Amino acid sequence: MSKITKQEIERILENPVSRRCFLGGLLATGALAVLPGCRLLRPGTADMGQVWEGGYQTFRNACSRNCYDTCSIVSYVKNGVLKFVEGAPESSFTAGGLCVKGNSYVRRVYSPDRIKYPMEQQGRGTGKWKRLSWDEAMDKIARKILEIKARDGSLLGLALSKYSGSFGITHYGVEGMMSSLGYTTRLVGTPCWPAGMDAQNFDMGNMLCNDPEDLPLARYVIVWGANPAWCSVHSMKFLYAAQEAGAKLVVVDPVFTQTAAKADEYVQVRTGEDGALALGMCRHILDRGLYDKEWVAAHSIGFDEFAAYLREHVTIEWAAQKSGVPALHIAAMAEEFAQARPATIWVGYGMQRHVNGGASVRILDALVAMTGNVGKPGGGARYAQMQTWGFTYHAKNQKQPGGSKGWIGASGPQGEFDFSGVKGDVKYADRSININKTAQEILDTKDPQVRMLWVACKNVLSQDFDRPKMLKAFNKLEMVVVADQFFNQTVEQADIVLPVTTFFEEWNVNVSYWHYWLSLNEQAVKPLHEAKSDIEIAAALSKHMNELAPGSCTFPTTVDTKDWMAQEFNQKELDMFGISSWEELRKGPVKAKLTSSAPWSDGVFATPSKKYEFHSDLCAKNGHDALVMYKEGRPAYDKLRLLTPHSKFAINSQFQNLDWMADFNSEPYVYIHPRTAALRGIGHGDAVRVFNKVGEVRLAARLTADVPPDTLLMYEGWFKGLAFNCQNLVDDAPSDMGSFKTGAPGVAIHDQFADVVRA
Amino acid sequence: MKKQLGFYVDAKRCIGCFACAMACKNQYHQASGVVWREVYPLKEEIYPHHERAFYSLSCNHCEHAACMEVCPASAYTKRERDGVVVHHQEKCIGCANCVRSCPYGAPRFNPVTERAEKCSLCWQRLDAGLEPACVKSCPTNALRLIDLATFNEPNALQFPPGYPRMPRLNPSTRFRQAELPKIIKPEDME
Repeated sequence: MSKITKQEIERILENPVSRRCFLGGLLATGALAVLPGCRLLRPGTADMGQVWEGGYQTFRNACSRNCYDTCSIVSYVKNGVLKFVEGAPESSFTAGGLCVKGNSYVRRVYSPDRIKYPMEQQGRGTGKWKRLSWDEAMDKIARKILEIKARDGSLLGLALSKYSGSFGITHYGVEGMMSSLGYTTRLVGTPCWPAGMDAQNFDMGNMLCNDPEDLPLARYVIVWGANPAWCSVHSMKFLYAAQEAGAKLVVVDPVFTQTAAKADEYVQVRTGEDGALALGMCRHILDRGLYDKEWVAAHSIGFDEFAAYLREHVTIEWAAQKSGVPALHIAAMAEEFAQARPATIWVGYGMQRHVNGGASVRILDALVAMTGNVGKPGGGARYAQMQTWGFTYHAKNQKQPGGSKGWIGASGPQGEFDFSGVKGDVKYADRSININKTAQEILDTKDPQVRMLWVACKNVLSQDFDRPKMLKAFNKLEMVVVADQFFNQTVEQADIVLPVTTFFEEWNVNVSYWHYWLSLNEQAVKPLHEAKSDIEIAAALSKHMNELAPGSCTFPTTVDTKDWMAQEFNQKELDMFGISSWEELRKGPVKAKLTSSAPWSDGVFATPSKKYEFHSDLCAKNGHDALVMYKEGRPAYDKLRLLTPHSKFAINSQFQNLDWMADFNSEPYVYIHPRTAALRGIGHGDAVRVFNKVGEVRLAARLTADVPPDTLLMYEGWFKGLAFNCQNLVDDAPSDMGSFKTGAPGVAIHDQFADVVRA
Repeated sequence: MKKQLGFYVDAKRCIGCFACAMACKNQYHQASGVVWREVYPLKEEIYPHHERAFYSLSCNHCEHAACMEVCPASAYTKRERDGVVVHHQEKCIGCANCVRSCPYGAPRFNPVTERAEKCSLCWQRLDAGLEPACVKSCPTNALRLIDLATFNEPNALQFPPGYPRMPRLNPSTRFRQAELPKIIKPEDME
């Protein structure tokens, strides 16, 4: 059935619904009224229509998506069928409500589009899929792994690409599965947040953030390069509470975001010049003597050097010229920020996806620190935290088979979720290659080359950078295995696909990198079709490996997801949350017992000096400036800047493919400033071609002054049946920082450039 | 005044996140393409930024409901106890008079059942002492359930700009309008 957009239906129905056109002004997305006589209807779906009827069995679930909010969910089940979901009322963060994505979960579980069985594609990209039994699939995979091992004498030809598709803790069993086979090649690092993560580690010795539930204590809040109204909807109530208690809410962003629309003040900054703006504020605060002299003297090192740098190299006029924000306003904002106690900055991940992103985060940290707001409830440079992630990582920490050969030499961190503690010189290690340059690394890696790729919790061809290059890299691979739930753009390029359970079909446990709640995830329904969890897949593979070559895989050949979830708990983690056993989580999520809502409240930092470091020798040792200072952005390589941030209807490539989501958002757009569009003869709704040195994307234009005139904006996402993919326009240029904590630098996702013409 | 339930749509707090609209699909599993609640962006003449202010709308549970008046099959009733306008799909003959007559686009035609359907204000949930699914899911408390008999918000509007003015129907939805932040822009980006 061909895809029919809402707009097409509206157009076709223009006459029948003409009496409703007075609503038209209001209805930019339009009322989709399908009237009798219209043949262009979508097919009906199974299990359609239900009402609340009571008598449900309820289960505890936890949203495992890569999202600030990591919601605690209650699922309502009847006769073994998931009927609907709600937010858990026990969590004061989730507070009973889910987002648009969370509310679509039932459709995700029962979608007719789910991958139902193991399948093999008769030629990548052909779409000719043949059903396999689990035994057949595992046999093919196991034989290939053994063949690689025989050919190369190691399993370094087997690579794993896995990231944030599911943060359920037992999903680290995928890494465990690789270890249980031997030493393999790992795509390490993170596209998400590593520049800011390193920056906070250099400044404070760790990445910790205030409890978001203490935002109402703030008297001045700057949301800087983050859009919680879309990406952390449950944080908005705390921002509103701060405003209602008299705080000023300021949003600094190149785009007039939904969060900006809710602020008291929106400051449009030139993309990538956040550091310049913050330095101008720092200089003004220094000049006016509004910094916290006592705190700086007692708890920091390098402030005098920073002050000298500000006096020598920074003026508010310079900051105004760089950032585009008028000097008078920089001064006013600086004074307001410095005089409000406490004042806080929400440091967004967007503002660090730049070649100077880490340097800019260090400047924002410095602004918060010099005003004495670090370590204060309601204050802080809020970026993220991982202190609640102290699980056992039992699923992850599997042993290599005896006699395994691997990479010789030192091994660094394998991503930010590597809690194994195995670092430094070991006889053999996994070979680490940069996840943010996956395509280039596959093309370049030799001795041995990457022959086989296992993809789990990841959509490489939707989310990784320089997609045209990725397609070339895939041509070099002898076998691609993807474990997923939908036939997405990576599955299109796979040889074998394995159906994976949703979290409603398995046991797990989840925490957030933003708030401090811990949620149990119970199995609410039996696995659909032939889906298996990632650790059950590992067990199935181990069974076949050991049948073909006894001792070739250490992973247990049977697993129970509940038992493996339970093994992720340890006494320290239980103590952090004040519970005696995981069973208590069946009564509802619990929050960590924090001595203060503010980290660093004792003024003792985890840096080498135990103080806040405006000057960090560790930072210098990692190849950056020791002192907090300005770093130039990436020179433009095309006429307009291109931003590809998150949509509110998706988290990366998940959710937008569901028909329920398409009911509200059916196609991608590129957003263009009316002036920029006029210069190119582009009108609202016109089909356009956006292109740059990487590739091109064809889609419809929407004209709006929400974006600056020098900027094109399109939201990332995977639409079912559409070729749209913004990674055809994003190259793999690295951000400045990230290697220290995650093993690879981040990506300058927002330092991209392109042009647009009518298609 | 008799009890009359309705929705309070606080556009100042609303972030247009569609949680309410999807919460409705989560509860009722409407056919693909059928929605009972929509989140409508305001025209830029009303709020000067594209898709940054919204009215979340479903059925307004009017005092004098157009759907009830035009239905030839008596498929609509208004509950005495709370004023909720209920569509009884088993009585519906699929003529779509209601779909054409409601100025707010609340009744929708279900192409699978070939009958109309619309927001029930979750009366089954209400009767069980629960909030409507959309209201429960709103993360900013921008969508609330109100009883007009006791609702006392002097600044609330019944017909804000962009919402069809139909005083004869007397819709039960009330609104607070969105506000604008102070905006600081680079001179060359005005």
